Amino acid sequence: MIWLTWRQHRKQALFTAIGLAILATFMIPTGLAMRHTFADKGLADCVRALGTASLVPASADTCGKASAEFNSQYGTMSMIGILFLVLPLLVGLFWGAPLVAREVEAGTHRMVWTQGVSRRHWAMVKFGVAGAGALATAVVYGLGMSWWLTPISQAGQHGRFNVFFFDMQGPAPIGYTLLAVALGVFAGTIWPKVLPAMTATLTGFVGLRVTLTTLARPHYLPARTLTLPIKDATVQTNPAAEDWILSYGIRDSSGRMLTANAQMACAPDATGPGAACGADLGLGPGSYNWQLYQPGDRFWLFQGIEAGIFVAMAALLLYLAVRRIRRIA
Amino acid sequence: MDIVLETDQLGKRYGRAWALRDCSLRLPAGRVAALVGPNGAGKSTLLHLAVGLLRPDAGAVRVFGQAPYDNIAVLSDIGFVAQDTPLYRDFTAGELFTMGAKLNQRFDLAMAHHRLTQIGIPRDKAVGKLSGGQRAQVALALAMAKRPRLLLLDEPVASIDPLARREFLQALIGVVAETGTTVLLSSHLLADLERTCDYLIVLHTSQVRLTGGVDALIAGHRQLVGPRHGDRPPSGVAHVVRATHTDRQSTLLVRTDGPIHDPAWTAHDVTLEDIILAYLGDGDTQSGRTHAAWGAPA
Repeated sequence: MIWLTWRQHRKQALFTAIGLAILATFMIPTGLAMRHTFADKGLADCVRALGTASLVPASADTCGKASAEFNSQYGTMSMIGILFLVLPLLVGLFWGAPLVAREVEAGTHRMVWTQGVSRRHWAMVKFGVAGAGALATAVVYGLGMSWWLTPISQAGQHGRFNVFFFDMQGPAPIGYTLLAVALGVFAGTIWPKVLPAMTATLTGFVGLRVTLTTLARPHYLPARTLTLPIKDATVQTNPAAEDWILSYGIRDSSGRMLTANAQMACAPDATGPGAACGADLGLGPGSYNWQLYQPGDRFWLFQGIEAGIFVAMAALLLYLAVRRIRRIA
Repeated sequence: MDIVLETDQLGKRYGRAWALRDCSLRLPAGRVAALVGPNGAGKSTLLHLAVGLLRPDAGAVRVFGQAPYDNIAVLSDIGFVAQDTPLYRDFTAGELFTMGAKLNQRFDLAMAHHRLTQIGIPRDKAVGKLSGGQRAQVALALAMAKRPRLLLLDEPVASIDPLARREFLQALIGVVAETGTTVLLSSHLLADLERTCDYLIVLHTSQVRLTGGVDALIAGHRQLVGPRHGDRPPSGVAHVVRATHTDRQSTLLVRTDGPIHDPAWTAHDVTLEDIILAYLGDGDTQSGRTHAAWGAPA
């Protein structure tokens, strides 16, 4: 049965391996170059000195200049990186959807299910091999992307909690890939034709991902709040903490939101037009900066939760697919 | 007499429509049986129930005394060639046989290769590049290499040309004669069946119309030609299957239960095809016509 699965899907495995190899020939040199520049500009040391606390003293160097230089050199990289977001979906479309759908579309399920193995056995091996292949691909992809994205994240272009950056690295894309494959398999048992199964996989995957990302992820753990005085602040937010800021603004002394999506900081000894420090904009005494955020050190926890949810959904879909297969003739 | 395949009030429903209903039949061992009926009569459904691809919604199907659904023990005794002889088109015949050897506990790899060599089909060419007739031969070799006690074939020759069809059926007869396998073969190509089969099952509008050994059926049916508005059918007629009338005479296809000596009627022998067509035509009306129904002139 394993021989059969390998014989049937070796082309897909080959194409996937070639795809990963092509990806590696691009990612490895650019990743090395970025890390090199990152160290050369002193960013590595600077970021290490900042630590990962949400707040650092106001006098601390937040590596702004070196970050700006780094980002001006590698700004396009994060855009290129976003293209790789579709990879889990591609695996689902080309590994998952045809797995059952192509058999039934061609009628070969009647040939293979009337040999001497049960359909359950057939499904287990097929799903197992496809799942293992997808898992291996996703692990290479997830870990590779983590490595590649680290300097971009640390240079403050986008924190690793950024919606796209979070989705491209670590265990999360492994969960996405497994879900995409399971969704493809399941869709193939409902619509036993390759194209409709692929369409359903595409729609379902994008729908699930968008829904969970926007509605569920910010609430995996209760968010924390942080307040900072507008004037005479002795601390400042730390870009190297890579906190995920959910919302922020300026509130008055009673806690009412005055200006959403704004922050303000005045130098203690400011003179000239800025010396009013917001009083002229209607900010009374006692107004303060406010932000709601998920701390950056929850990154791996959130990755684990996200991956866990997707793996659980994938397992459920595969279970349902096995049940459906028993009813296909 | 051993019964290989037995169904009892068997029914299968797709949504609210019954694809097969109240189907009761028994297929004795050692027969080459034809399952005949128009498209949509439920032939494929019956075969899928027999090979365990489908689970019955009503009644029971037993193969070698066991329910075949989800039953590997029965499956290893059944060879099945599905409609349009589906095979993995990018596999070579040799690879398909390797697959068969790996997926079946009992698989005669040598026999499969030998059969292929006999027919002259290359074993290292993707089966998708073979002709339809050659593909059907590969599918038959794959099914027979399981050394099954029951071989089920769903319209195996429907989509191949007449010459390849004859070769396929000859190969089938040959292999069955060697192994003594019981065969159930569905088809709507009547002319091929008389040469191939010795048992007949007629299925129409999801029900069994007729079953029996071919020789007995041919011996037990007669075509009678006699006067229009004549008397009731002569003695010796058990059942009028089909009647056609002209102004002056009536032609009846009847099932007999004794010799027919009435001089008013001329009796002719019938072919298997005549019988099948008569029973299929009969299916258009509610049930078999009785003497009384036939006897009332228009």
